[in-house]
Amino acid sequence: MQPKLKSKVRCTDREVGEVTRVIVDPLSREVSHIVVGRNGAGVPERQIPASTIEAVTDDTVELRAPSSELNQFPVFRRDEYVTIHEVEIAHLEDHLHVQPGEVLVPLPELERNVKRRTFFTNLTHAIGALIALPLVYPVLRYVMKPMYAPFDNRWLKIGNVNRIKADDVGVQFKFKKTVKEAFMPEAEVDKNVWVLKASPPVLEEVYKSKDMEFRDHTGGVIWTNKRDVPYVAYSGKCPHLGCGYKWRNVPKLGRQIFLCPCHLSIYDASGKVLDGPAPRPLDPVPIRVATNGDIEIIDVEYKAGTKVQTRIV
Amino acid sequence: MNSQPSLLEKVFAFVDERVGLKTIQAKMLNEPVPGGSRWAYVFGSCLLFIFIMQAVTGILLMFYYVPSADHAYASTQYIIHEVDYGWFLLSYHFWGSSAMVVMVFTHMSQVFLWGAYKKPREMVWLVGLALFGLVMAFGFTGYLLPWDQRAYWATTVGVEIMDKTPVVGDFIARFLKGGPTPGQMTLSRFFVIHVMILPAALMGLAGLHLFLFRKAGPAGPFQGSVEELKAKTDYFFPRQVWKDVVAMAAVFFTICSLAFIEPVQLLEEATPDPGDYHPEPEWYFLFLFQMLRLKIFSGEFGQFLAGVAIPNAFLLLLAALPFIDRNPERNIFKRPIALVGWIVVMAGILIFTVSAIINREFLD
Repeated sequence: MQPKLKSKVRCTDREVGEVTRVIVDPLSREVSHIVVGRNGAGVPERQIPASTIEAVTDDTVELRAPSSELNQFPVFRRDEYVTIHEVEIAHLEDHLHVQPGEVLVPLPELERNVKRRTFFTNLTHAIGALIALPLVYPVLRYVMKPMYAPFDNRWLKIGNVNRIKADDVGVQFKFKKTVKEAFMPEAEVDKNVWVLKASPPVLEEVYKSKDMEFRDHTGGVIWTNKRDVPYVAYSGKCPHLGCGYKWRNVPKLGRQIFLCPCHLSIYDASGKVLDGPAPRPLDPVPIRVATNGDIEIIDVEYKAGTKVQTRIV
Repeated sequence: MNSQPSLLEKVFAFVDERVGLKTIQAKMLNEPVPGGSRWAYVFGSCLLFIFIMQAVTGILLMFYYVPSADHAYASTQYIIHEVDYGWFLLSYHFWGSSAMVVMVFTHMSQVFLWGAYKKPREMVWLVGLALFGLVMAFGFTGYLLPWDQRAYWATTVGVEIMDKTPVVGDFIARFLKGGPTPGQMTLSRFFVIHVMILPAALMGLAGLHLFLFRKAGPAGPFQGSVEELKAKTDYFFPRQVWKDVVAMAAVFFTICSLAFIEPVQLLEEATPDPGDYHPEPEWYFLFLFQMLRLKIFSGEFGQFLAGVAIPNAFLLLLAALPFIDRNPERNIFKRPIALVGWIVVMAGILIFTVSAIINREFLD
């Protein structure tokens, strides 16, 4: 039991006064001292350590010391302490019960005997859910509006084959693509593909003796790259994580390769992964070459980082 | 002696009577710091300071910045080249974000090494981890906004990495991009996340973090007897506040110096053709970037491992830490696994970051 304020303080021989204050240790959060105020004017309050307390009852504190020794305890100095209202010590008041009794406020008339308290709690939650739930679907649709755009199957003119001087050498064709995004004015973005005039072995490596079909979101075939057409166009997007790769001469390898500067994926002219983290070869896109040598492509884009191609644009 | 109270004193008394200012002030400042104030405790306060400055500079940047694909770049260039001190505010904001990341790592390391995540401070630690996530999200969403090549490509790659999350990856990636490829919708989304959602979340969680911290009380040093601690204990004010303020000033002048020495310069405007630019993320994501270059993280599964599984598993481990490590011992020199673990993680991040930087010259 903790000593209470206003409790009578008894020494071994007689009653000496009452508990005027209680001092708490900020680290252990236990009562460390009581302050004893004695009867009579001008008698200083003494600060008595908790170890001197013999027993605590409801309204008295019994000390181990005789009243004659009381003056050996230090005089209480108020300016060396602050009240617990002026300081923040975690969990200080959790197990302190030093007040002489409780401080109360009346429970309002209407709050007595309220039945169905649980019902009211649940009703509050139910109304909250009633407001929130119907919003889920509209909000989801609202934010999802632009997320699944249809594929863009336009043919784009990107240049002429007369730029390609040698077989099996990657040539970058930059082109402008007009995009019309939602409310925005029509804008042009820079894009690029790598075009290759492939020698028969490289062409075989790309097509594996099969024509290459390109599909719409419905699964319908929109174009077929014939395996005997020597021009191959690779999407400019690295199949690893979507950076832009380059055609580089690497003296150490004694050959030219496609190198992505981001995560150092390396591909040969047929798009095959030679080294690095890429999960699949470069992505050929639909290409058609007019009789005058003009190249057109469909700017197909696949999701990066997957083993199989998943078309997203 | 009994002079009349001045007008200021009257106003203060009026407010105090209604709000209880004196009690609030006393409660805020009179918090015993077990074992006394230390320089090691300044990092949390520094984080709060950096965040406030990011909010101030961020709001100022929005006076001119326009989050649209056709104006973001131009308006940022305008801030840098035309608006008086625009370059400084933008550079401060830029370097402030780096300072925030450095300080978060320092703060977390201090808490970890001091064993301050242990009972009864588990909740403080958990909310702190969530705040760490928010800081990284701030960095990620923030550097798309200038809409230059660095911005565009870091976002492209970053979102592709999130796409590797099982089941929800595709949805998350499309949700963030607002479509299949980065564009205006991406910029709008990153903007609203950066200037509205993350600040609101950070303010709420930082408030909760502080509340929980005050509720649990400061942990104090990890060694020393009760008597020693008690003898050295002082209040938050003035000694700790003084140390905090000096540290904040040091942070402020460091960020200012960096803004002066190395002001922000934009690359070319964002476009899906990288040209001669070699995409690279902000330095604090470099270790992750370098990790993704490793052969063991090649292929679809490897990417999932390095980009999604390992970072998330690491965060999960940190979250579980106070529940796994129930030993009340806080002295780091008596916790060999914790010490070695910390050194390994820090060394790993350092090695990957440095090798990413070394790799740069081989690309040119």
